[in-house]
Formats: sequence, C-alpha cells, structure tokens
Amino acid sequence: MAGTLVELTPEQISTFAAAEPAWLVARRLAALGEALELPLPHAKQTPLESAGFVTPDLAQAPRVSVGSLSAGAEVLDLSVAISQGRAEVEKHLGRLFAERESRLHALHLATFSGGVFCRVGRGVELKEPLQVSIELQGGVLYAPHVLVVLEEGARADMVVELRGEPGAEASVRGAVEIVLGANAALNYTEFQRLPGRTQTYWPRRAELGRDAKLQWILADVGARLAVADTRTYLRGTGAEARVLASFFGGRRQHYDFTHIMVHEGQHTTSDIEARGVLQGKARAVYNANSVIRKSAKGASGWQHEHTLMLSEEARADLIPELEISEWEVSAGHAASAGPVDPVQIYYMESRGIAPVEARRLIVAGFLASLLHDIPLDSVRERIADIFQEKVEL
Amino acid sequence: MARPELIIEGLRVGIEGREIVKGLDLTVRGGEVHAVMGPNGTGKSTMASALMGHPSYEVLGGKATLDGQDLLAMSVDERARAGLFLAMQYPAEISGVSNANFMRTALNARRAESDPVPVMQFHRELKAKMESLQIDQSFAERYVNEGFSGGEKKRNEILQMAVLRPRIAVLDEIDSGLDIDAVKLVAGGVSQMLSEDLGVLIITHYQRILNYINPTNVHVMMQGRIVRSGGPELAMELEARGYEWLRQELGIDEPITEEA
Repeated sequence: MAGTLVELTPEQISTFAAAEPAWLVARRLAALGEALELPLPHAKQTPLESAGFVTPDLAQAPRVSVGSLSAGAEVLDLSVAISQGRAEVEKHLGRLFAERESRLHALHLATFSGGVFCRVGRGVELKEPLQVSIELQGGVLYAPHVLVVLEEGARADMVVELRGEPGAEASVRGAVEIVLGANAALNYTEFQRLPGRTQTYWPRRAELGRDAKLQWILADVGARLAVADTRTYLRGTGAEARVLASFFGGRRQHYDFTHIMVHEGQHTTSDIEARGVLQGKARAVYNANSVIRKSAKGASGWQHEHTLMLSEEARADLIPELEISEWEVSAGHAASAGPVDPVQIYYMESRGIAPVEARRLIVAGFLASLLHDIPLDSVRERIADIFQEKVEL
Repeated sequence: MARPELIIEGLRVGIEGREIVKGLDLTVRGGEVHAVMGPNGTGKSTMASALMGHPSYEVLGGKATLDGQDLLAMSVDERARAGLFLAMQYPAEISGVSNANFMRTALNARRAESDPVPVMQFHRELKAKMESLQIDQSFAERYVNEGFSGGEKKRNEILQMAVLRPRIAVLDEIDSGLDIDAVKLVAGGVSQMLSEDLGVLIITHYQRILNYINPTNVHVMMQGRIVRSGGPELAMELEARGYEWLRQELGIDEPITEEA
C-alpha cells in the first residue's frame, strides 16, 4: 500500500508549503507520514481505489468568493488567514480530524490548498447569512479546507456552494470543520452542484459546546462520485444537532453518504432527516449512526431516511445504525425506499395536473421540503428548481 | 356555455374483482344539488372514485358523460380539466409543494402555456377566497395537506373547489369526522358557490350537512344501486327513521354494514 504514495515526498510538501509557518509545515509532514500507514476509508459498496481524490498528489486551490460581511464576522480565504498568522487557525485546523480515521484525511491534511476560514465573534448575532462559493476551474485535484469557528453565544447562518466549470473532470479531496462554542448556533447550508464528471471526497466534522446548536442543510445534485461523511460531536451538555440531507442522483451518479451523531454530553439531542431521489442507473449508499456514549445520559438521537426510486435500474442501500452505551436515552431509526406514491399522483391529477407534471412536483417537493430553513430565498428556490429540472420523465 | 350536465347510466364498478356499484343511473345538472345517502359499504364512495378515475377501481360497465363528453374514456387529469371535481374523503399529503403553488399549477393546467394566470392576480383571488371560507392565510404557503387536521383538509378541498370552479363537483363525505361548526363552515363555503353553472353531488352518511346546503334531489343507495329518489323530505325521513325501514320495505336482506 505504501508504494502508491511514493509520488509524494516530504520535500515536495516542504516546497509547496515554503511560505507557510513552521507549525503548519510540521503538521503537513506528520500527516504525510501517517498517510503511509493508514487504510482507505471503509466504503464497502463504493469503489474508492480508482477515484481521483485518492491520488497522493499536491492539489491546487479552488476559487473562493465570499458575500458581503457584517460586523463581528470574518470570512477569509484560508491561505490569507494562515499568512496573517491567525491563532484560531493554528488552534483548530485539523483538530477534529485528529483521529485520522483514514488515509484520505491524512492526505488531505498534508496537501490541503486554499479554502475558507470563517469566524463569528463572541455574542455576535449575524442578521445576514455568510455566503461562500467554492469553484473548481481547470485543475485536476483540489483540496480546499473549510474551517468555521463560532465563539460563545454567536449566531449565524452560512451558505456554501460547491461548483465548477461545466465539463470539469477534477477531483476534490476536501474537508469541513465547524467548531461551535457554548450557546453558539449555526445554520449551515451546503449545496453541491459540481460538474457531472467530478469526483469528490468531502468529510465534515463539527464539535458542539454546551447548549450549542447546529443545523446541517446538505443538498447534493452534482458530481459523478460523491463520498461524504458528516460526523457531529455533541460534547457539551444540552447541545443539539440536526441534519437535513437531500440528494438527487441520476444517470450513473454514485453517492456514498454517512451521517454520524456522536453524543458525549448529557441531554444532547440529534435528528437526522435524509431524503433521496434516484433515477437512471444512479446508486446511493446511505449510512447513518447515532452513537450515544457512556457519558450521555438523557440523550436522544433519531434518524429518518426515505429514498424515492424513479427507475428500476437505480439502487439504494440504506444502512441505519444505533450504538448505545448509556441508559435513560431515546433513539430510533426508520429507513425506506420505494416509488412515488400513486395516491399522490392521483390526487394531483384529480385537480387537472398532467401526470408528468404531477410527478415532477411531487419528486421535487419531496426534497425541497428539507430546504425550508435555508436563509436565502434565492438559494432555496434555485436548489428547488434544479431538483425539479432534474426529474426525467 | 350551456348548463353543466353529468349523466350516469348503468354504471358498474368493481374493486379487486368484487362488484360494488351494480348499475347506477343518475343525472346532475347545473343549479342542482343532489345528495346520495346510504349506509356504509353500499358503493357511494366507490361511485365517486370511479367517476374521477381512481386507478384502483375498475369500471365494469355503463356510461358517464360530462357535457356530452365520454368521461370514462378520459384520463383523470382530463376529467378534471373537463370540469369534474372530487372533494376527497382522504386527500393526499404532498410534502414540499405549497398549497398556492399546487392550485396555481392546477389552474394553469387549464390554460394555454403561453397564458398562465398572472401571479399577483392569483394571490389576490386566493386571499379573497380564503377569507370568505374563514381559512387562515398561512394555508397558502403550507405544504398540501401536510400536518393538516381533519377539518383543515376538508376546508382545503372546498378552497380548491372555489379556486378551480368546476362544472360538476362531487363531495365525498366532506362532512365526516367534522364537528358541527366545521360542517357549517364547509357547507357554507359550498353554498356560496351554488349557481346555474355548478352541479353538486353530495355523498354523505348523515343528514346534518343538508341542514346547511339544501338539496334539490335526494337519493338512497343500497347494494350498489339507487333504490329510492325524492326531494329534501326523503332526507328528513331517513334522519327520523334510519335506513332499516327502507331496507324492509324494499326486501333487502343483506345486513347493513356497521359504521367503521
């Protein structure tokens, strides 16, 4: 296995990171060393070996654009934040990937390039959402890192869009880290509409302090292969997290999504609501796990997953799990997959709507109902329109 | 346009191989309100669903025309666009589609693609209709029937009827499960719409809704057929005496299905 990493040497990393502070170069080199020892992520039903993001190569930075900013918040290109010597970056960058669950995490930390650093100061409540667009241009491999820190009592909405030039065939090996201080609240939307030939590996990690609240609104329509695993650590007492994940796969798209809630604090609550639509020969592997650790008395973790199957050739594997090590908790899961309910189609038809249009509305609505909390109408409507246009009839 | 006219002749309908409606004749014209009453399990709702074209019901024989057009040869959406409306007993819930969007789409389905109903005008008219039905304005943006109470669902059916202005409206047990105030509201909503351009067929188990919508014709359905027709006085008689006397008079021995 180690042999496949020969192409990337410590010298290359040092040269690539020549302008960076010593602590970061040292971290990159350490991560490269670990990458040699670690296996690929466990993805039984998704062929990762041949994916572009596995390539042990240096990556380039995507174009990052940010919307207008309110007082008390910062959104910077990550490389700018690093060159400014921001203490928060040194403190948090890569920390939530400390467990190094796989070679890809280590490789990412060794080679990441560009991305976003976002900070909302103590007690600041933003009125306007933070907007970030991450755009692939003509490159082969990108490794952006998104680091979001909300200090104690801060409140914000954030909308991140991943896109690329049409026809791009790039790979993405990225990462998202979100750190929420006590009583902080973040409503985080991420819309992935990468071009149809891209391959992306996009793990997300979040850490919630006491009474912190995080809502992930994740919508995936793009990429040829998208592997994402979202792990939320509910560390502080009373922390709350929710995932609202919608995905729409068509043609030969392959999605492999994992959502894990790790309850460590007492009275922490989590909810995972995922809805998928598959058509053509699309394939989805969907894993969810609510982990309630020994320390998490009074925790509650729920999962609901439903996938609409629009074609006979599409395939979905739903794997919900619970791992409970504490008493006095509540947890459960429900997962199902099936065609559009003919009763819904009949109802719409009975109002004069043609069956084709009825189906389109039902399918798009099924996903769009998870977009309700997106703070920007324009973004929400655009995603809903893209869902609607994607329905093949 | 001429007065609406729904003519049903010798209609026979089955479900899962069992014949439920066994030869039904009925004519409803604009300006008329017909009530079809009868015990449960006699085929009232089956008739309504078959008229609309519900995929689970199979028409085994007979005819049904709306304004001279062969209803049974049309698809469900064509029947609706021809002017038939069915207020359903159990309306479907549709996540992620707002009521307003749903009704606007349904209205536009009746118009040329190049001539959709202007959005502002639609919302103005919808607002006025909601007010007259005492429906909260939040209905417009709520998802179709999702999380609605029983009463809200029925009112939503009547709201859709008001927006879509059908020629013939079939109301399938629009009063069931409602308290008396809700029945008044729903019935009042329908009464407001009555005109020469609308024929109404009310399917009901109970007489009470007929206190608020005066029927021109009352029919009793048993064992898949209309066994007696009359004026409003027939409904009163049924209310006073139940269905048993009629069963005995007609020599029907099949026991009446208990209400679920």
